[in-house]
Amino acid sequence: MIDRLSLDIEDGSFFVLLGASGCGKTTLLRTIAGFIKPFSGNLYFDDRDLTHVPAHLRNIGFVFQDHALFPNLTVHDNIAYGLKVRKFNEKSIKTDVRDIATKVGLGNLLDRFPAELSGGQQQRVALARALVVKPSVLLMDEPLSSLDCKLRIEMRSLIAEIQREIGTTTVLVTHDQEEALELATDVAVIKKGAIEQLGSPRDVYAKPQTAFVADFIGSANILDVESMRLTPENRICCDLSCGQAIHIDNDQDIMMIGGTKLVVRPEDILVATCPDPSVKQLEGRVVQVRYHGRSMSYLVKIAEDQFLVVDDSLTKTCGEIAQGSRVYATLPASLRFVRS
Amino acid sequence: MNKFMPWGALTLLSCLFLAVFLLLPIFKVILASLQNADGALTLEGFKIFFLEGDYLQGLFNSLLLATAVTFVTVLIGVPLAYVTVYYEFPFKSLLSILPITVIIIPELITTQSWLLVFGYNGFVTQMLLSLGIKAPRFYGWTGLIFVMAITYYVHVYMASLAALRSFDIQLEEAAQSLGRSPISARIRTMVPLLAPAILSSALVVFTLVLGNFSIAIILGPGVPLLSVMTYNSFLSEMGLNPTMQSALATISIIVVGLILFIQKRFVGKSRFEMRQGRSMKAVPIRKAGGVAAYLAVLFLLAVTLLPLGLVLVGSITDATGPVMHWGHFTLKHFVKVADYGLGIIFNSISYAFSATVLGVLFGTTASYLIIKKKNALTEALDFMAMLPLAIFGTVLGIALSQTFNAGLLPLTGTPIIMVLALTFRRLPFAVRNASANLFNIPDSIEEAAISLGTSPLKSFRKVVAPLMAPGITSAAVLMWAMTMAELASTLLLYHPSQETLPIKIYNLIDSDLMAQASAYGVVMIVLILTPIFLVTKFTKVELFK
Repeated sequence: MIDRLSLDIEDGSFFVLLGASGCGKTTLLRTIAGFIKPFSGNLYFDDRDLTHVPAHLRNIGFVFQDHALFPNLTVHDNIAYGLKVRKFNEKSIKTDVRDIATKVGLGNLLDRFPAELSGGQQQRVALARALVVKPSVLLMDEPLSSLDCKLRIEMRSLIAEIQREIGTTTVLVTHDQEEALELATDVAVIKKGAIEQLGSPRDVYAKPQTAFVADFIGSANILDVESMRLTPENRICCDLSCGQAIHIDNDQDIMMIGGTKLVVRPEDILVATCPDPSVKQLEGRVVQVRYHGRSMSYLVKIAEDQFLVVDDSLTKTCGEIAQGSRVYATLPASLRFVRS
Repeated sequence: MNKFMPWGALTLLSCLFLAVFLLLPIFKVILASLQNADGALTLEGFKIFFLEGDYLQGLFNSLLLATAVTFVTVLIGVPLAYVTVYYEFPFKSLLSILPITVIIIPELITTQSWLLVFGYNGFVTQMLLSLGIKAPRFYGWTGLIFVMAITYYVHVYMASLAALRSFDIQLEEAAQSLGRSPISARIRTMVPLLAPAILSSALVVFTLVLGNFSIAIILGPGVPLLSVMTYNSFLSEMGLNPTMQSALATISIIVVGLILFIQKRFVGKSRFEMRQGRSMKAVPIRKAGGVAAYLAVLFLLAVTLLPLGLVLVGSITDATGPVMHWGHFTLKHFVKVADYGLGIIFNSISYAFSATVLGVLFGTTASYLIIKKKNALTEALDFMAMLPLAIFGTVLGIALSQTFNAGLLPLTGTPIIMVLALTFRRLPFAVRNASANLFNIPDSIEEAAISLGTSPLKSFRKVVAPLMAPGITSAAVLMWAMTMAELASTLLLYHPSQETLPIKIYNLIDSDLMAQASAYGVVMIVLILTPIFLVTKFTKVELFK
């Protein structure tokens, strides 16, 4: 259910609706497509009111989650489908299909049937089929979720490249934050049918406004602030629920944000085995060490039932910290408050 | 696979068994069609078929009837399936018993029950007569098409239903997003995807009609049909030169073979497969169209189930000879069954039981070998086990009777040949049912058992067999029901002391003793239903998937 949601998508942008499953992002996309009729509200493409225009007259391109290729048609006929409906002549259909097929890398597979294609190839057909009709907006419903990890990354860059080249306004729905950050010019994080935060990928990652956004995009440590006061150096001293305190810069309007939680990205924390008396640090014990190859991560216990996840790219500090060590964590001075 | 395992020998043994008792007889029939009484090569039989009498007319009638019935079943089955998937309505679950009706209401019973309504002494006929109206004749094309359509539409319904349920509604949306209007999108995406399923079930109906014997012989005395003519040629040629009966049998084998070839070549070989996407969601009935569809569905359901009630009523209706006294009830027909029919019931039970045991044992082994222990011979085994699907019941009877009436194994006239006929006739169903959940048993389970130190045979017995049990149970129950009702193949083979229930019922209908026939019909239905009831009541086996 989506209730009172207003959204302005700029021409030529790559707009990503990001949210967990069941949050209403697909419903929103299908409403834009015209598969679902809104109970109230309006939908405009440019200045045209499309609210009551049925899906087939909206000139959209839709890429379905599991492709929805016509299993009885060849790759060529799948791609040509929309052109045939639009009664293009045989010759221009042939060239259009060939052009788009080459663009998505399907050139030599035109006579195959969908069942004879791999998942990635099917995805390419779905994309070509939607793009070949030159839609006014391209809608994609979790297009990459059925692909395996390597293929997903490959297709992601293909989609980004083609969208840049063709310049079609694109709306993509996904639950994959990495996908959203890489593809989007604008991201809307959706939660329970409402927009939680809207902005550029850099904004939503670096300046999350709510704990949900912070946690959903990337990973985040959320710290509860119990009380705060100004220090003589005009910094804010925050007493945390773990019983320790930290000092942060006084550069944000806390009243306006209206939240009492702090967000810390794991990669922004520095840990060391000996304290640094010049800054206010959080003290804890390493209870788990995880090795990821490029990086390490530590689970630091700062109070009973309270932990801090710290990413350490090995180059930052000198060597690995052993499990059970007492450590001192330095948090950046520019921590931001978020609403819960 | 390991060569120390006994599977190879078992495959060889199974193949030999089928080769001797099934393939050889059929081969001999085909051979006999090309020989005269002295054993010399001749095409006399085929010459007579094409030039004399109404043999050719019979083939033509059979094909025409099959076409008509197929057409009607598609007309009923497909819309019914669409309504089932499209609408949500009260008593919808009743529709799920439709597939069961094929098993529990044998075609013999359906035929007989509609004769109770529209036959010479049927109550509608008599009622109309008392009003001074002469009802149109039910025997002939009308009755044949009506009863066969009622009997066989379920096959088309089931196939269309399965196809519709797996239809991905997203395809429709895809077509819409590419510019097709909703109605056009539905038709353009749905029709090509359902067509293969509908077509192949239509072909099944087509062959069933061609091979049908019980309905054809009872309702079609004025309409020469291939299967009935084959039977008649056997009766008139008993002990004489079997050329004509063999020629007819061979022609029916060729016709069915041709249809199966078409099915495999063109219909079965479609290059696409449906992906599981989002299926259609049923909507509640609104508007008049929906209500009309609903009423049609209820009517159809009633017509399909009516035979059960009709036969019961017929069995307790008083009768003097062929004349039924509608509205007057009696139990005398059952008393007669108890007095004279116990031997017949015993025959039926013992033959059906033996055929079920034999068929299930063989079917289980064969399906296991075919699916899990493939070797050079399993393909041949698979072919032979499925062969009876292409052979008319009458042809199977003729083949067995001709081959085993003398020589090394003189079986004709013994109960053994009855049991063999019943077993082979339904072997394909036993194999299919037993293999149904075999596909879902991963090879690794068995290998796990072996890796833990169990011998191959023991791992089959302890691991695979229990997993196959539900499939085997349903195979057994279905086999029992079908062999219990089998008429075509046994009518040619039985010795007077070996009368079974269907044969008795047929003979009584033939003498127009409908009430007495109904009493035997009720007994047969009870015998068919008992194991079905017990299995559904006491086990978790789903019999009709």
